Amino acid sequence: MTTTRKIENTVLTAITLVAGAIWIFPIYWAFVTSIRTESRVVSESAGLWPDELNLSSYVDALFNTQLINWYINSIATAVITTAVVLVTGMMCAYAISQMRFPGRRLLYGVVLASFMVPTQALVVSQFILMNDMGFINSWAGIILPQLIVPVVIIVYKQFFDAVPKEMKEAVVLDGGGDYTLLFKVYLPLNWGITTALGIITFIMTWNQFFWPFLVVTTEDMMTIPVGITQVNDAFGVAYARIMSVALLAAAPVVIAYLIFQKKVTEAVMISSGVKG
Amino acid sequence: MSGVTLKNVRKAFGAVDVIKDVSLEVPKGEFGVFVGPSGCGKSTLLRMIAGLEDTSGGVIEIGGRDVTNEEPAKRGVAMVFQSYALYPHLSVFENMAFSLRLARASKSEAKRKVHEAAEILQLTDHLDKKPSALSGGQRQRVAIGRAIVREPEVFLFDEPLSNLDAELRVQMRLELTRLHKQIGATMIYVTHDQVEAMTLADDIFVLRGGVVQQAGTPLTLYDDPDNRFVAGFIGSPAMNFLQGRVTRRTEGGMAVAVEDGELEVRVEGAAPGEGTDLVVGVRPEHLGPVESGGFTAQVEMSEELGGNSYVHSTPPSGGGDIVFERRGVRERLTGQTVRLGAVPENVFAFTPDGVRVR
Repeated sequence: MTTTRKIENTVLTAITLVAGAIWIFPIYWAFVTSIRTESRVVSESAGLWPDELNLSSYVDALFNTQLINWYINSIATAVITTAVVLVTGMMCAYAISQMRFPGRRLLYGVVLASFMVPTQALVVSQFILMNDMGFINSWAGIILPQLIVPVVIIVYKQFFDAVPKEMKEAVVLDGGGDYTLLFKVYLPLNWGITTALGIITFIMTWNQFFWPFLVVTTEDMMTIPVGITQVNDAFGVAYARIMSVALLAAAPVVIAYLIFQKKVTEAVMISSGVKG
Repeated sequence: MSGVTLKNVRKAFGAVDVIKDVSLEVPKGEFGVFVGPSGCGKSTLLRMIAGLEDTSGGVIEIGGRDVTNEEPAKRGVAMVFQSYALYPHLSVFENMAFSLRLARASKSEAKRKVHEAAEILQLTDHLDKKPSALSGGQRQRVAIGRAIVREPEVFLFDEPLSNLDAELRVQMRLELTRLHKQIGATMIYVTHDQVEAMTLADDIFVLRGGVVQQAGTPLTLYDDPDNRFVAGFIGSPAMNFLQGRVTRRTEGGMAVAVEDGELEVRVEGAAPGEGTDLVVGVRPEHLGPVESGGFTAQVEMSEELGGNSYVHSTPPSGGGDIVFERRGVRERLTGQTVRLGAVPENVFAFTPDGVRVR
C-alpha cells in the first residue's frame, strides 16, 4: 500500500467516524438522560458523560404508563398491516403483471395514481368512514386505511415482470396454475424483495403517528408513537421518562432490523443486479 | 399408431398469418426436426403443439387424440427451453421432481423417477446442487431430466443447444441421439442450424414463411430438394446457384448456358425448351476443376481445413461467390483461373421462382 493510499484511508476512516458519532449522539444522549433522575437532567452540572444509573424512569414508564398496552397495539397493528399489505400487494402485482384481463392497464394506472395522493388529503373522509363503521378506537380503525401501500404493488410488479416467460411456461407445462406460479416460483424467486418490503412496511407502520393519533382517543388503544405524547402530558415535562419510553419504543424496530439486516442488504444487492 | 399429426394448422397474430395451413406428421418414436431461418414460424409451431399458443385453425393430434383445445399439461408433452427455464431456488432434485409434486406423486415414486432420469443423464452426483452451481451442459441435462420424469408421449425441444459452446453442442447432440434411442419417445426439435437438423433428425421439416417447404429424411432433402430454398438451406457450405438459359436438349436432360460456358443437367421428365431461363445449383463437393466443358472462375482464396478445403472463386460475370471443395490436395489455386464443372446427375435446375425442374 502506498503512502498516499494510507493517508486516503485514514482520512476516510476519520470522516466516517465523525459522521457515525454525529448520528449516534442523539441516541446516546437519550440513553444518558433516561438513566438520570428528573432533577439531575435539568441541573446545570449535568455533563456529557453518564454519572448516574437510575432506572426509575424505566420502571415508571413500564408500570405507571400504558406502555405494555401500547406495545401490544403497535406490534399487533404493524404485524397485521405488514402481512395483509404483502399478501394483497403481491397478489395484485401478480394479476397486473401476469394475467390478461380487460382493464388491467387502467387498474395499474389507478395504483400509480393512488401513489400520488398525500395521506393528509384523505384523512377527513377516512375518519368519517371509520367512524361510520364504528372502528374508532380499535385495531381495525388503525389498520384499514394503512393497507393501501401502492409502492409494494409497484415493486412486486417490476420483479414479476422480470421473471423470464419460459419459467412461467415451464410451470404451465408441468401442470401448475396461477397459485403454483405465484407461491412456488415467483414468491421464492423474489424472497429477498419480500423480506425487504416486509421490513420497510413494518417500520413504516410502526412509526406511523398522524393517523393513529386521529383514530384513537383512549389511552389503552394507542400505539407507541402516540403514547409517547401522553407521557409528556401526564407528568409535565418529564425528560428522563420521555427518553426511556422513546428508547423502549425504538427497541423492537432496531432489533428487527439487526436480525434481518443481512436479508435487507441481500435484497438491495439482488435488486441492483450485483448478485444474480 | 401416430405420434404427432398436424392437419391444416393455422396461426394468425392479428392480421398476420405466421403459420399457413401446415399439415405434417411425426410418426411415433421418430425424431422430427423443424428447421428454417429465424421468423419462419418453427418455434410458433412447436409452441402450438405444446399448447402455449392458441391455434387459429386446423387440428393438432397427439397419439391419435385431438388436443387442439387441450390444456398444455394434459397434452402429454414435455418441453425443453433454450434458456433451460430451471427454477433457480430449487435443487436439481426438486427441479426434476417439480411436476411430480404437482401431480401429487408419492415421495418414493418421485424419488425413483428422478434417480432413474439422473442415472440416464449422469446427474446423480449433482442432485443436491442448485442450478447456479452447474455448467451450461449440466443445466441443459437437468432441463431434459425434468422432461424425462414426466414420461411424456412427446418431447419438444426449442433450440436447446443454442446457448452452449460449439464443442459442447456436438457432445449434447450425440447425447440427444443416444437418449432418443434409449427412451424411444417421439421427439420434435426446433433449430435454425441445419447441421443439427441433419445429424439429429429422422425427418426434417424445412419451414419458410409459415409454410413447410419440404419434409423428408435428411438425405432425401439433401439429395433431392423440391425447391431452391431447401437446396440452399440444407448443406454446408450452401449450394452454388448460377443464372442460366437452356441451349439444347441432351440425352436424358439438357445443357444450360451459365457464365462463359455450360453445364449439363439430368432431367427425368420433359426438359424445358430452348431459351428457357433457369437457375442452376451445384453443391460445393460436386463442383471441381475439369479439363473441358463447365465455366471459368477466378480463385480468390481457400479455407484450408486439413483434410479438405473450400475454395472461393468468382465467375466472369462477377456475380456471387462460387465455392468448390477439394480433398487431399495441397496445391493452392489462389489467383488462378480454373474451369469448373460437374456431372449432370449432380446439377440441379430450378425455375426463376425457385421450383425444381426434375
